[in-house]
Amino acid sequence: MEDFLLAVSLLFTTPLIAVAIAGLVWGILGGALPGISPSISMALLLPFTYTLDPMSAIVLLATAYIGAEYGGSIPAILIRTPGTNAAAATVIDGYEMRRQGKGGEALGISLWSGFIGSMFGLAMLVLLTEPLSQLALAFRPTSYFALGVLGLSVIASLSGKSLLKGAAAAILGLMVATIGTDPISGVGRFTFGSPDLLEGVAPIFVMVGLFAVSELMTHSGIAAHAIDQKETIRVRLPSLAMMNRLKRSQIIGSIIGTFEGLMPGAGGSIASFLSYNEAKRWSKHPEEFGKGSPEGVAAPEASNNTVASTALIPLLSFGIPGSNSAAVLLGGLLIHGLLPGPRLFEENTEVILGLYMGSFVAIVAMLVAGILILPLCVWLVNRPRPYLSGFIFALVLSGVYTVHVTLFDVGIVLVAGLFGYAMRFFGFPFLPAVLGVVLGELVESNYRRSLVLSGGDNAIFLEDPIAVGFLIVAVLFVVLALVGEWRSAARLRKGVKA
Amino acid sequence: MKKDLIASALLLAVAAAYYVATVRIPVSTLADEVGPHGLPKVLAIALAVVAVGLGVRALIAKRPVTVPETAANDDDPEATPLRALGLLGIGALYMPAAWILGYVPALILLILGIALYEGMRPSWRVVGIAIGGATLFWLLFVVLLGVPQPAGLLF
Repeated sequence: MEDFLLAVSLLFTTPLIAVAIAGLVWGILGGALPGISPSISMALLLPFTYTLDPMSAIVLLATAYIGAEYGGSIPAILIRTPGTNAAAATVIDGYEMRRQGKGGEALGISLWSGFIGSMFGLAMLVLLTEPLSQLALAFRPTSYFALGVLGLSVIASLSGKSLLKGAAAAILGLMVATIGTDPISGVGRFTFGSPDLLEGVAPIFVMVGLFAVSELMTHSGIAAHAIDQKETIRVRLPSLAMMNRLKRSQIIGSIIGTFEGLMPGAGGSIASFLSYNEAKRWSKHPEEFGKGSPEGVAAPEASNNTVASTALIPLLSFGIPGSNSAAVLLGGLLIHGLLPGPRLFEENTEVILGLYMGSFVAIVAMLVAGILILPLCVWLVNRPRPYLSGFIFALVLSGVYTVHVTLFDVGIVLVAGLFGYAMRFFGFPFLPAVLGVVLGELVESNYRRSLVLSGGDNAIFLEDPIAVGFLIVAVLFVVLALVGEWRSAARLRKGVKA
Repeated sequence: MKKDLIASALLLAVAAAYYVATVRIPVSTLADEVGPHGLPKVLAIALAVVAVGLGVRALIAKRPVTVPETAANDDDPEATPLRALGLLGIGALYMPAAWILGYVPALILLILGIALYEGMRPSWRVVGIAIGGATLFWLLFVVLLGVPQPAGLLF
C-alpha cells in the first residue's frame, strides 16, 4: 500500500506523465517507420537519457518500447510492410482487412489488443519481478559468474541460422568488453595510449552503432514504401460485440507473450507467430484466418505487446537481457549506475515504481495517442528517405556526443556501425555481440574474484548450488540449440534430396 | 559459402591481431592468478577456433544448408557494400567538419551530404531543409536540453 501511494505521488511530483507520453509517441513513430525497430528507436533515445534523472531515463526507454510495438503494426496493416519484426504476423490478416476497406478497423483492433496485451504484461512484470529478484540476495561471486555464463549461453538460442556465427559474435563482444582498465589489477588493456579508452567502450556506443548506423548503411539508396494519402484512414476501436469476439485470441496472445518474454532470446516475433497459430487453432472461425480475420490481428498484437513488458522481468531480476530492446534498456540502467537485481528494488524503489507507473500511463495514453498520432505516422512514413536518413544520422551523432562531450565517441559509434554492417553482410547476429559487451565485465571480474577467494581452486564453483544450477541450465541451453540446429540442417538436407 | 570463407579469414585476422595486442598487456604486481591477459588470450584462441570451424564448414558443405529466410527478409533489398561505406564516409567527415567548423555548419553539411548521396536532386529546397534541420537540432540539444555540442575552431 505504501509503495502504491508512493507510485501515485510520483505522478504529481515528477515529470513522469510527460516523459511516459514522450517515450510512447517516440516509440510509435519509430515503430511505424519500416526498418526502425524498437531497439533502434530506444538506442536513438539513449544519449538523451544522460541529461535525465534515472527514473525518467528508464521510463522514457520502457515506454518507447511499448509504443514501438504498437507502431510496428501501422505499416504492417497499411502497406504490408511490418514496422518491426514482431509485427510480421500482423501483416497476414491486417493487410487483408485493409484490402477489404477495413484498414481503420484493423488498426483499432491492433490498438485495443495492444492495450490488453500491454496491461497483462505490466501486471506480470509487477507480480513476478521482485520475487524473482530476491533469489539474487543469496548470490556470491561464483553465482554472478555462473549467471553471466547463463546469460551468454542464451546466445545459443539467439544465433538463428548458425551457432558458430553466434559464438563468434559473442566473442567479439567479449573482446570489446576487455578494452579499458582491468577490473582486478588496474592495468590498461587495449587502450593504445588513449585516455579516452581507459574507461572502456560503453555498451551504449556499441548498441547505437550496431543497431542504428548499420541500419542506415544497409538501406542506403533503397527506395522506401509509401502510404496512399488520398484515402483518409481513421482508427476505429472495436465495438463491444467485437471486443467479446477478440477475447479468446487476446488471452492466448497474452499468455504466450508472457512465456516468450520470460524466455531469453524468444522475443516478440516468435510470440506473435505462435499466438497467431494458436488463435487459429482455438478460433470458432479458423477458416477466416488469412482472409482478413480480426482475431488474426488481435492475437499477435496482444502477444508482442505483452512481450514488451514481460521481457523486462529477467532483465530487472537478474540483469539478463533476452532481446535487443531489453539490452538497450540495460544500457540505460547502467548509464545511471543502476544494477539490476534485488538491490535495485531496495535502493532505487522510486525508479522501479516510476517504471511501473510510467508504463501504466503510457499504456492508457496509447489508446488516445494511437488514434491521434496516425496522421503524423502516415506523414512521416511518406517523407523522402534521403531526408529521414540525414536527420537520423544527425540525431545519432549529436546524441552520442552528449555522453562524454567528445568527438572520440562519435568515432567509436561509426566504427561500431562498420562492424555492424559487416556482421549483417556476413550473416552474424547482433544480440550475442551486445550480450558479450554487456556481460563481459560481470563474467570476468566475478570469475577472478572467485578464484582469489578459493586460492585458485576452480572447485569453488561446484560448492555453490546456485552457480551449479545456472551452469546446468546454461549447458542445457547450448545442447538444445545444437540439437535444434542439427535437426533443421537434417530436415533441409532431406528436403534437398527429395 | 564464399561469404563464410571470407568471414572466416577476417575473424582469423582479428583473432591474430587481438592475440598480439594481448601479449603486449603489461604485467602488474597486483595481478591475480588469471591476470589481465588471461581472458583476452582465451578469447583470441576461441575466436580462432570458431573462425576455423566456420571456414571448414564452408569448405566441406556441398550445398548451402541454411534455414530459409522469412518472407519479410526476402523482400528487403540491401545496399551494396560500396554504397553503404560511402554513407559511413559522410558520417566520418562530420568529425573533422565539427572540429573545424563547429556544430551547426557541420550538421548542415552532414544532412545536405546524406540527402544528396541518398538521391535528392541538388536544389535550394534541399539546402533549406538541411539548414532548418541543423537549426532544429541546435535548438533541441544546445538551447532546450543545455547539452554542449562541438564548438569548432572557426565558428
